[in-house]
Amino acid sequence: MHCLICFRDITEATTWQNLWTVKEKNICDDCESKFEKVKGSTLCEKCMKPVSEEVNLCGDCYEWQERFQQDPLIQNVSIFTYNDYMKDVMACFKYRGDYELVHVFKEAIKDTFSEHFKHSFQLVPIPLSDERLSERGFNQAEALAQLIDLPIYNVLKRTHSEKQSKKSKLERLTSKNPFRANHPISGDVLIIDDIYTTGTTLRQAAQTLIDHGATTVSSLTLIRS
Amino acid sequence: MDANQFSGKLLLKHEWNLDDELFELWLQKKWIQEVPGIVRKFGVTMCQRCFNTEKKYFGLMPGDITYCRKCVAMGRLSEREPLYRWSGPENELEPIPNSCAWEGKLTPLQEEAAHAIVRTIQTKKRLLISAVCGAGKTEMLYKGIEYAAEHGLRLCIATPRQDVVRELAPRLRRDFPSLTSAALYGDSTERDHGAHLVIATTHQMLRYQNAFDVIIVDEVDAFPFHKDRSLPKAVNRALKPKHALIYLTATPRFNLKLQTALKLIPTVSIPMRYHEHPLPVPTFKRVHQLEKQLQAYELPKLILDWIEERKGRRFLLFTPTIELAQTLSQSLSIPYVHSESPDRKELVMKFRTHQLNALITTTILERGVTFPSIDVAVLLADHHVFDEAALVQIAGRVGRSADDPTGDITFFYEQKTNAMVAARQYTRIKNKEAQRKR
Ligand SMILES: [Zn+2]
Ligand SMILES: [Zn+2]
Ligand SMILES: [Zn+2]
Repeated sequence: MHCLICFRDITEATTWQNLWTVKEKNICDDCESKFEKVKGSTLCEKCMKPVSEEVNLCGDCYEWQERFQQDPLIQNVSIFTYNDYMKDVMACFKYRGDYELVHVFKEAIKDTFSEHFKHSFQLVPIPLSDERLSERGFNQAEALAQLIDLPIYNVLKRTHSEKQSKKSKLERLTSKNPFRANHPISGDVLIIDDIYTTGTTLRQAAQTLIDHGATTVSSLTLIRS
Repeated sequence: MDANQFSGKLLLKHEWNLDDELFELWLQKKWIQEVPGIVRKFGVTMCQRCFNTEKKYFGLMPGDITYCRKCVAMGRLSEREPLYRWSGPENELEPIPNSCAWEGKLTPLQEEAAHAIVRTIQTKKRLLISAVCGAGKTEMLYKGIEYAAEHGLRLCIATPRQDVVRELAPRLRRDFPSLTSAALYGDSTERDHGAHLVIATTHQMLRYQNAFDVIIVDEVDAFPFHKDRSLPKAVNRALKPKHALIYLTATPRFNLKLQTALKLIPTVSIPMRYHEHPLPVPTFKRVHQLEKQLQAYELPKLILDWIEERKGRRFLLFTPTIELAQTLSQSLSIPYVHSESPDRKELVMKFRTHQLNALITTTILERGVTFPSIDVAVLLADHHVFDEAALVQIAGRVGRSADDPTGDITFFYEQKTNAMVAARQYTRIKNKEAQRKR
């Protein structure tokens, strides 16, 4: 076996200890230690953003709750922070198109899924525009969803492109929903995406899914930026 | 658009930067030809860009499409994403006489090397210039560059190290103002539109085929060129069938030394620095349990004494690992740099401009960068990362300026290694050789 990131040999000698904790390891300890999990006692209850001790919700989530009276997204769970190392790895994975790197996150995604969600959830990856998809050759959200051994429902479509760049906060919160659903859906839905930034994209997707029959919508994102 | 600016290129579709219509047209005209990205032959899979055949460097994408992970940083090449090579009209460079604006004077030894280079370019042969650190390699190239420009030959200076490209390009542009040039490396944004002079990392050679009349490989023994077998292959592919290939190094590795010894490659040896002072000979200082002490944040007296003796002269401390650099940095309150430090350029600049008096570094500063008037110590000189070439290069940082041609180079170690002895031997031999040339 070779580390998926640095290609170093990681064929470990079998010891009693790792006999009991057999895990599919595909990166070396060095590389693994450079990722940072989202943690801390004061995280936004909804989206896991670090917040001050006096509040339960971050500004964005509070706004959704207060301004629009209802939030289409029940909960977001993120695994890693967007530290410099993660930025490099994601640049390689998404922009350079090094697909194999998805397997780096297999354990983390699987463990997080079983800790927070049930097998009855229906997995819906955030789609890419056709243009992006053909450029990249794969959809990173779908690639991540595939790490969980459950069927995937590609019911969302993008009507216009991903570019979110320099919009004001209000514009972002109220911008036109870029998704449509090409199929009805029901029950509890779990949206999968690579990164949670402001939550707007995810909530637009969530709203679309609710409009098409979803009972509840949550999200699992690899990174909380 | 001048089509022949593309001659010699081997690129992914998007790298051509052409609109779809023109790209299709040129494909039809066979000015651009498709080259499969990944080829399977006799059970071996090979990347057609970086020559990789190692299984661990191939990846699979959805749809069972194989792609090469080794060169993916240059844009993904897969069974579905081929390369395209230029097969249209060839670039004919405008000959430019008297392009060299440099008015300095070469030493007799530099002169000798310069002539050998011109002769090699004329006769389209190979040449090794084995010149000590501080011999003034760059100026030795000038006559060759001028000759190439005058005869419309495309010349590339390739080096394994980005820093060298960054340092060399502005100098060459200043001294050859009438030549078109391109400096190419990982994050440079420059493009080569069929320039007279290309200054590039050896990695960039992977984007060329049949492009250059002359390639000069500077620091041919540096990482990763000597370790990565794909890079010499890439250099060969980037050359035209009739070409001159010139290697420059202070520390030729075994393979080149052997070729010299067997007279397979003409070799010019420059054992003397341009200022004609001898190379500083390393002093060996043995410290019992050096590694343990350093790791425990303890500083051996011998090392503290050495620092004390600098008396305000600037110095560099080389360590074999990043961890040790970090530990030492804490114990001594001296900043450290390594290949991934975000503030690397800034710290080096501060050291250069005397805002810093001392700097701890891993082997990244072993070559390419020069500072006048410094002393150097290597801590754990017996560590395996310090091979002969590395130690010679590190010692070569000392006494670079004509105004201050001496300085101290000390190796601190626990157990003497062959590399240390060989490095000291190297300086002595070169100094003797230089004396005979005087
Ligand atoms: Zn690794
Ligand atoms: Zn929140
Ligand atoms: Zn490759």
